[in-house]
Amino acid sequence: MNRQRGALAAGTAIAGSGARGGGAARLSAWRRRQLAGWLFLTPAILYMLFAFALPIIYNVMLSFEQTSPATIADITAPYAGLANYRFILDDPTSRTAIVHTFEFTAGSLVGQFIIGFALALLFTLRFPGRTLGRSLIIVPWLLPLIVTGVIFKFLFQLEGGAVNQLLMDVGLVHHAIDWLDDPKLALPTVLIANIWLGVPFFTLLLYSALQDVPVEVKEAALMDGAGPWQRLRMVIVPMILPVIEVTFLLGFVFTVKVFDLVIALTGGGPANATQLITTWSYNLSFEEFNFGQGAALNNVLLVLAMICSPLYLFLSRGSLRSSAGGGR
Amino acid sequence: MTRLQRSRALRMLCTLATVAALVVVMFPVYAVVVASFESTETLFSGNYYWLPHAATLDNYRTVIQAQSGNVLTSLIVGTGTAALALVVAVPAAYALAKYQLRVTVVIVSSLLICQIVPSIVLATSLFIVFHWIHFVNTYPGLIIADGTYAIPFAILVLRAFFFSLPNEVMQASRVDGASEWQTFYRIVVPLARSAVITVAVFAFLNGWGDFIFALTVLNGTNIVPITLGIYTYLGNYSTQWGAVMAAAAFAMVPAAVMLVVAQRYIANGLTAGSVVG
Repeated sequence: MNRQRGALAAGTAIAGSGARGGGAARLSAWRRRQLAGWLFLTPAILYMLFAFALPIIYNVMLSFEQTSPATIADITAPYAGLANYRFILDDPTSRTAIVHTFEFTAGSLVGQFIIGFALALLFTLRFPGRTLGRSLIIVPWLLPLIVTGVIFKFLFQLEGGAVNQLLMDVGLVHHAIDWLDDPKLALPTVLIANIWLGVPFFTLLLYSALQDVPVEVKEAALMDGAGPWQRLRMVIVPMILPVIEVTFLLGFVFTVKVFDLVIALTGGGPANATQLITTWSYNLSFEEFNFGQGAALNNVLLVLAMICSPLYLFLSRGSLRSSAGGGR
Repeated sequence: MTRLQRSRALRMLCTLATVAALVVVMFPVYAVVVASFESTETLFSGNYYWLPHAATLDNYRTVIQAQSGNVLTSLIVGTGTAALALVVAVPAAYALAKYQLRVTVVIVSSLLICQIVPSIVLATSLFIVFHWIHFVNTYPGLIIADGTYAIPFAILVLRAFFFSLPNEVMQASRVDGASEWQTFYRIVVPLARSAVITVAVFAFLNGWGDFIFALTVLNGTNIVPITLGIYTYLGNYSTQWGAVMAAAAFAMVPAAVMLVVAQRYIANGLTAGSVVG
């Protein structure tokens, strides 16, 4: 709007000779304001260039370099062509890590959505304890991830772990289960911890979306004789679908990034059973000092995460547009 | 059953479901606190005790001795991350909301995409870049890296808030002869107080809880945040559970404080930051 007004002022300044002085002053006021806006933005632009653009570009460069522990001190290493990518494709652990990342992400999203949506629906009802429930449900979200990892490692221990103790006390199993050291069980166990961690996010977002469904809409559905299940499927879900989409998208992005939790719980083991792209990339770069290979695997992860970005930008178009219009 | 009885039974069922959910949510936290007071013999007895059993302060003694400095380090990192986030994000969000700049759409799109970039991608490159400019193992290096969690989020949340600020407020200030900077500093920032606090709380928690950058851009010698301290206690076969749990209890303190003191801001931030549309 300011820009239009500025152009208008400039137009009148040229057209009307009498108003020339005032128009020019207003034009320079507009310029001054633009300059101020740019100055306010400068720290953020510099930060984004240094902390996001530079590492992303540098990561691409690294993935084409022949790195070794000796080249860390230098900013560039000899060109390696596609060798690092070829390594990633041939390396069985990298391939399992990619598969695990997909399984882990899909499992997490399904679990988090089902539990999160159920809790969100629950909290829209009126009953004693809903306020307390709503305020405490966010606790898992606030804890440092490494702490969550440590706690679950403790609770899922073979001997003296609370989970085994509970299952044996209740009589569901007779022998302690080796949750974290059994290659078949380790990934599902990490998945349980991650679902615990992510449910609050789904609950809060879906709850706030449910709050925005007008009462009249629900009442109208009720008048039509719709049962609770029909009301949910035919009326409420379609209305909050945009939020469900954004929530899934962000959930996906959060889950493909998971690192701390797995490092604390299993370190990627046993026998790479819980190795994800992130943990294996860390291992390649910081344990084996093959930064080029780590960077190539990073780029696989980056592409995976970025697949969502057009959709995310599309779903967030409201926030982009409001910038042009000035106000929501 | 009458209608009234049925609705009463239904309400009871809802309360029970909530209690069950809260047990699942809170039990791990409870377990940390209980375990942090248990003796090594209890922790390695092979049995899990649901209630405190032979409480001792030994673990806290060990951890206070070994980790006090690390807690201080984490405080510095959290505060630094919050300060950096505010300095970078508040003016930027204001510019993106209230000045119709030609780059606004490009910058906002980039911020949305920045939120997607996995930290391990940044960590690998930042390590080598920091190595080159001698930022490895320094507070500024770690804080800049930790800012990557907080800053895109902070700008988007604050921008959403600044939209709700009427333009008349700024116009009145300009008519009074205030410069753009004075308008921002004296009028806009104080009005945005609650959003600024939300952002600062989250940035602090990000810096405090960060593990991945602490693991990569520090070499683990003179700067050791509490998260890294906990990690080094985790041996594959010989985890010192008592010490780990006491350190974990310390690491949970800011979250607990924020939950009590800044509950409103946290709930605001969680929803505001994510649904931008």
